[in-house]
Amino acid sequence: MRRFILFVPFIALTWSGWVSPALSPPPKSVPTLSAESQELFLPLRPNSVRFAVMGDNGTGHRKQYEVAQQMVGYRQKFPFEFVLMLGDNIYGPDTPLGFHKKFERPYKALLDGGVKFYAALGNHDDPNQCFYKGFNMNGRKYYAYTKGNCRFFALDSNYMDPEQLEWLEKELRNAGSAWKICYFHHPLYSSGRHGSATDLRTLLEPLFLKYGVNVVFSGHEHLYERIKPQKGIYYFTSGAAGHSRRGDIRKTGLTAAGYDQDLSFMLVEITGDELYFLSISRIGKTVDSGVIQRRVTSHVSELSGQLWLAAPIPDLPKRQIRKVEALH
Amino acid sequence: MKSRIWISCLLLCLCDEITFLLGAGTVRREPISEAGQVNEDTRLLKDFSDRVQAYVKLHKRLEASLPPLKPTPDPAKIVSHQQALAKKIQAARQDAKPGSIFTPDITERFLRLIRNEFQGPNASHARATLRQGEPVKIRLGVNAGYPKGVPLTTVPPTLLLNLPRLPPEVEYRIVDHELILRDIKANLIVDIIPKAIP
Ligand SMILES: [Fe+2]
Repeated sequence: MRRFILFVPFIALTWSGWVSPALSPPPKSVPTLSAESQELFLPLRPNSVRFAVMGDNGTGHRKQYEVAQQMVGYRQKFPFEFVLMLGDNIYGPDTPLGFHKKFERPYKALLDGGVKFYAALGNHDDPNQCFYKGFNMNGRKYYAYTKGNCRFFALDSNYMDPEQLEWLEKELRNAGSAWKICYFHHPLYSSGRHGSATDLRTLLEPLFLKYGVNVVFSGHEHLYERIKPQKGIYYFTSGAAGHSRRGDIRKTGLTAAGYDQDLSFMLVEITGDELYFLSISRIGKTVDSGVIQRRVTSHVSELSGQLWLAAPIPDLPKRQIRKVEALH
Repeated sequence: MKSRIWISCLLLCLCDEITFLLGAGTVRREPISEAGQVNEDTRLLKDFSDRVQAYVKLHKRLEASLPPLKPTPDPAKIVSHQQALAKKIQAARQDAKPGSIFTPDITERFLRLIRNEFQGPNASHARATLRQGEPVKIRLGVNAGYPKGVPLTTVPPTLLLNLPRLPPEVEYRIVDHELILRDIKANLIVDIIPKAIP
C-alpha cells in the first residue's frame, strides 16, 4: 500500500464568488460539513498535472453554483490549472445570457484565477460552442492537447463519424505522452439510466486498447460512477455538476464505486506514473478516492490489479456510497 | 505506363466510393460483379455528392459575405453569425422542397442502407444509441431552423460508417423516424428523409 503524502484540512467555504444576484439569487443557507469530513487527500507533488473534471454542469440552477463554489474552495488547497468539461455545457438555447448564467457567472472566480476549461460537446450542446473561447476548443468539435506528461483527447461522442475516428487513430498513434486520457459525453460503460453506449464502444474501445489509453471520463448520466477496470482501462462517469438524479445507479456488475445522492465533481492529480483522484459532493464530502498506477507496457490489455483506495472514506453513511465493490 | 497508373487509381477510387455507398454488409449480399447495380450505386453516389457539394458551395459563398467566425469570448458574435448565415441561406433557398438532395432514387438507396443497420447484427446497439441520446419528437421543415434548445440526437456511429461521407459543413441527424441533413453552422435543415428509421 502506497503512502499518502499530504493531508490538507479543508476550510469552511465563503460565498464571495457570487457576482450579481440579479439573475439567480444565492441560496440563503450554505450547505457545509464539519472540518473533519472536509479532507483533501492529494499528494500535491511539484510539477504534477492538476485538474478538475465536471459534466452536465450547464443548468444555471442554484446547485450548479454550489458545486462551482466547492471547486473554488478546493482550489485554494489544490491549485488545479484546468477543468475537463464532459458535455452538456449549456442546457437550453445557446444565448449570450445562457453562457453568462450557466458558465461565466458560476465559474467566474475560477476564470478570473486563470483556470482554463476544455469542453467536449454533449447532446444538449450546439456544436457552434466550439467557437466560444471560454471552452478552448478553437473552432474544433474534437481536439487534443498536452499537459505535462499527459495527452488529452476531447471527443464528440454525439457524432462519431469516420473522419473523427481516423483523426483519433492518427492522434493516438502519434501521442508520445506517458498518459493518454480521453473524454467525451456518452459513457462506454455505465450503470445509469441511459446505460452503456455499446455502439460507440465497438468503435472506440479497440482504438483505446491498441494505443494504450489509460483513463476515460464521461458524463451524460447525472451521477458519479467509477467502473471496474475494463480490459485494463479505467472509466469514470462524472455527470452531476449541474444536476443529479437520486437512485439512478442500477445494479450491474460494472460499478466499483458510485454516488447518486447529490451533485459532484472530481479532482485529479497526475504525477509520474500515478493518477490520484477524488470525487467530491456538492457539500464537500469526498465520496470516492483512489490512485491508479500506470504500468509501462505496450500491451495495456495485460494490466490488472492497479487500483486501490488511496485514502479512507471516513464517516460516510452507507446510503451515500452505493455498491462500493472490493478493489483489486 | 502512365495511363495504366491512372486507370488503377480510378478503379481504386471507384471501389472506395462504392464501399462507402453500399456499406460492408451490403457488399457481401450484392456482389460487385452485378455490374448494373454497381453502376447504379456509383451514379447515385455521384448524384448525392454533387447535390451536397452544390449546397456547400452556396453555404460558403454566402458565409464569405459575412465577417468570418473565429473563436471569440463573446457568445453574441456566434449567435449573430449563425442567424445571419441562416437568413441568407433561407433567402437563397426559399423555394427549397423536400427531395432536393434526397431525391427519390437517393432516398431509396439510403433506406436500404439504414434498414441494413437496423435489421443487421448491430441493430440493438444502434437502437440503444438512439434511446440514450434522449430522442425528441419535433416537426421539422426543409430550410427551417433546428429548434433552439432542443437536444441533438446522437447518430449511431456504426450507421455513420455506412452512410456516404459528408463535407464538414453538414451532418446527418435522426429526429424521431426522420433522417435529416443539417447545416451545422447555420443550424438549418437542408433536407429530410421521412420515415427513414424503421
Ligand atoms: Fe447528456
